[in-house]
Amino acid sequence: MTRERHYIPESRQREKPKSKYFAIGHSMKRVEDTRLLTGSGTYADDVSLPNMAHAAVLRSPHAHARIVSIDKSKAEALPGVLCVMTGAEAAEVTGPCADFSSPPTTQHCIAVDKVRHVGETVAAVVAESRYIAEDACELIEVEYDPLPAVVDLEEAVTSTGDAVLHPERGDTNVAHHRVIDFGTVDEDFAQADLVIERRLRWPRSGGTPIETVGATAHYDRGTGKFTIHANTSMYNYVGWLIAVSLKVEPHRLNIVPTDAGGSFGSKLFCHKVCTLAGTLARAAGRPVKYLEDRIDNMTSGDAHGSDRVYDAKLALKRDGTMLSMRLKVIDDYGAYFQYGVGQHGNAMAQVTGPYKINSVQVDLTAVFTNKCQQGAYRGFGSEVGNFVIERLVDAACEELDIDPIEMRRQNLIEQDQFPYIMPTGNMYDSGNYQAVLDEALGMIDYDGWRQKQAEAREEGRYIGIGISTCQERSVFSATEFWMWNPNETPGFTLSSSPESVSVNIDPTGKAFITLNAPFWGNSPETMAVQVLAEKLEMDPSDISVGYADSDKGFNSSGPGGSRFTVMIAGAVSGAADVIKEKMLRVASHMLEADPSDLEFRNGSIGVQGVPGKEKTLAEVALHAHYFRLDLPEDHDLTSGIDAAYVYDHPVTTMPSEDRTDLGIFYPIVGHMCHIPVVEVDVETGKVDFLDYVAVHDCGTMVNPMTLAGHVRGGTVNGIGSALYEHFHYDENGQLQNALLSDYLHPTPMETPVDIRVGHVETPSPFTEYGIKGGGEGGRMGAPPAIAAAVEDALKPLGVKVDSLPLTPKVLRGMIREAEANGG
Amino acid sequence: MYPFTYHRPASLDDAKARLSASEDGRPLAGGMSLLPTMRFRLTSCADLVDLNGIEALAGIERGDGHVRIGAMTRHAAVVESPEVGEAIPALAALAGSIGDVQVRNRGTIGGSICFADPAADYPAGLLGLGATVNTDRRAIAADDFFTGLYETALEDGEIVVSVDFPVPARAGWAKFGNQASRFAVVAVMVSLSGGSVRLAVTGARSHVFRVPEMEQALAGDFSAEAMDGIAVSSEGLNEDLHADKDYRAHLIGVMAKRAVRDALAQ
Repeated sequence: MTRERHYIPESRQREKPKSKYFAIGHSMKRVEDTRLLTGSGTYADDVSLPNMAHAAVLRSPHAHARIVSIDKSKAEALPGVLCVMTGAEAAEVTGPCADFSSPPTTQHCIAVDKVRHVGETVAAVVAESRYIAEDACELIEVEYDPLPAVVDLEEAVTSTGDAVLHPERGDTNVAHHRVIDFGTVDEDFAQADLVIERRLRWPRSGGTPIETVGATAHYDRGTGKFTIHANTSMYNYVGWLIAVSLKVEPHRLNIVPTDAGGSFGSKLFCHKVCTLAGTLARAAGRPVKYLEDRIDNMTSGDAHGSDRVYDAKLALKRDGTMLSMRLKVIDDYGAYFQYGVGQHGNAMAQVTGPYKINSVQVDLTAVFTNKCQQGAYRGFGSEVGNFVIERLVDAACEELDIDPIEMRRQNLIEQDQFPYIMPTGNMYDSGNYQAVLDEALGMIDYDGWRQKQAEAREEGRYIGIGISTCQERSVFSATEFWMWNPNETPGFTLSSSPESVSVNIDPTGKAFITLNAPFWGNSPETMAVQVLAEKLEMDPSDISVGYADSDKGFNSSGPGGSRFTVMIAGAVSGAADVIKEKMLRVASHMLEADPSDLEFRNGSIGVQGVPGKEKTLAEVALHAHYFRLDLPEDHDLTSGIDAAYVYDHPVTTMPSEDRTDLGIFYPIVGHMCHIPVVEVDVETGKVDFLDYVAVHDCGTMVNPMTLAGHVRGGTVNGIGSALYEHFHYDENGQLQNALLSDYLHPTPMETPVDIRVGHVETPSPFTEYGIKGGGEGGRMGAPPAIAAAVEDALKPLGVKVDSLPLTPKVLRGMIREAEANGG
Repeated sequence: MYPFTYHRPASLDDAKARLSASEDGRPLAGGMSLLPTMRFRLTSCADLVDLNGIEALAGIERGDGHVRIGAMTRHAAVVESPEVGEAIPALAALAGSIGDVQVRNRGTIGGSICFADPAADYPAGLLGLGATVNTDRRAIAADDFFTGLYETALEDGEIVVSVDFPVPARAGWAKFGNQASRFAVVAVMVSLSGGSVRLAVTGARSHVFRVPEMEQALAGDFSAEAMDGIAVSSEGLNEDLHADKDYRAHLIGVMAKRAVRDALAQ
């Protein structure tokens, strides 16, 4: 269907924001806590099936090589070994792994013919124990013919011949290149008084959860059906693609979710591990568990984050008015391309930030290198966009000698401009950016810190104050995965991204909610309970929650892209409406009143205006379950009270054919302001936090406590990205820090004692109750704010922060250079 | 991890007997270094002799002019010890800078010095304070104890029983730790006793070492400024992801001054 450009669909919001809530907005303790904190959770490694065997994998020591031969005879001869599989053998029964790139990029769960990164699986062993399986891996003899290792992302652009990772996609390691002008870029640059240019480097890091990815698979020869228990997400959305890889019909694969011990995005799909476990279980004729060890996860977990170099330009008027941007970016995708350039589709949701910027040009080159491929990681590419624009804005402040706060005040989108269509065509639904800035400045005592900073400089101490005002897009829609694809090879152009739920009321009037997405480290049960309690005015402790496997589940995208709270609120709200209608019908017969005269009030249904004339939910439920013959003979009035509801994304539109308008795809847009105060030890290069304020506007808050937890956790995550985390590959493509002893995370000792969190609530006009997502915000706002704070601290030395992470070694090197230059 | 036989003797004699009976036996103290290397299959042994059941090996006592710390004393016990806190506060500070709470509750001084990790903290404590290592068969001066990368003067089957730290007039500790592991990138222990100064550096080379130029300067003038102009050569220093040799050389100068300031502040 052709629509006019920038068409905004009518809001489907049914539950308006309220001034007073029954259950929403309360900081109730998490429903999940008792189970998880008492050790009752079931994580991937807790799954145990009768007669289960264990798998281990042999990892490639080479970054890029042909597999000449594999001798597995010694491994097979080891007592306790059940089967040893090479890639060639696996490929006879199992197809390539799920892949959303276009044209497709072939990855096998065990490498076939060629290895493309260190740590890639070359063979797998199934044995009676993991110990035996690992012993057997050491006995497999593999002969390799090394190929040139492609490590540098800029060199990858020009590599040819043997250095090409996927020759079937052409004699190049450029996986994707496209230039799109969103709006009148040339005209806007022509009007500029000043163009700020910075070369900015965002380093490769990743989600690195404590629990790695694992799957326990069982293949039933009698039914030809797989059952796979795994800590995956999206199993009720695109999990069927694993069945395609295993070459069975989707109804012959049941994926059973386990609790995930952290994800940070990295367990978004985990299709490779599921496919591998399924393949091995079928071959061994036994249930098989495979759990990545730390090195497997770090070298081959398919979830490294963005790794980009930008040549970025911001065009401004002399008075500080921002006009347009040009972004030339190369992104190192590693050896495979599972989500295509979805991370750049994502970044287009808020590429111009919260500012009134009229246009943007994006010149995107994605390259293959011999590294673990990119996957999902908190921010999914948008966090890099935030870093880039905030660095440009700070550079402009310096160049124009405008205070960073005044510059932002001048350019922030105003409250009366929403809904706001930004240059790429995405919509910002609502916001009050000045209010967020005001709240943050009030909390941090900005003027006081500037005073302390001046005093400290007199003493030779280097204190810096940074500020970021960033967008926090939420509720992704599927178009971001393919919108960059060329028209001639559009790929799988899916446009549904729903969430679903089922609700059963038991005969005593209490509720059971079945989620169709996993526990992922967030608070899905708490969110669902609070929304259902709100709708039915029910005590939250009268509601419990479970998780559907893919046999029973409905179409559900699951958590990811900060969508779950908004989407589950929509689904629960829809299901609750069905429940309410049914209960009202039953109650109307019991109370001999018209349904329109009835109301839900604190655990009962009663006649409006007639106190005392009411039935408890328990009485209504019991009646509905067991006293059918007391009710009228309406054929559509069936026993019991149950509902299933599929809630589609609240507001999305399709991209235009030429992609100069990407449509509405990430429209529920929160906003944040982060202000860290740091002190840099110039002798060592170490950064310490003296204070930290993070104010977020995530619309209506379902649970301020869990939201604050997300903000704090995300902020610490962002501190890691800004100061510590980096997958370091050497020139041969060897990952130098595949263990958590060398891959540096911030610990409590590197974290501000109190990340002070503030909230502003600007309800969305498109979602139920006006909720917005907040799962990724901290990591999207902290890195640019910390970069700004460090740069501010070192202003007397003239140090410029153009790349992350600012490890002590790196920062000390920058300080030394600045000192040598007479800074 | 490769298979091994686990032993848990209740006496030092029993431990010695089991170690001498094994062709490939290793004593286990806190397990903070040995167990991870075994888990990664970088180390293996036929017999693992756990010393955690030998009560006599743990404990802290104040002697005449020294503090004796039993080999199996946990870092946390050193941190909390009134004897150490009163006599050598810099040593308590050193122990408190090791790893995290869990490591300090588990790791031991004997385990740390026997493993002799190039970035461990205690070697600098022993060398910088001029300690003596008492084993089941002799006493070894700290200057002779650490001999190389993960190497000590211990003979096969020799078990460390305790360490004696002479009480200095002043001592100071300064550490620049790795953010993840808390191991020293560079750490310095300095002490002043009578007119003599000891300054030991860990984290920077294959094993802990003293810096004579700095010690001489400090012997004449125990102040941070006395070391102005004394640069430690980067030659032979460790290089890894977290610090190259020039950065480490620079950090030695910075940490040495901070250690002296720490000593003067006490």
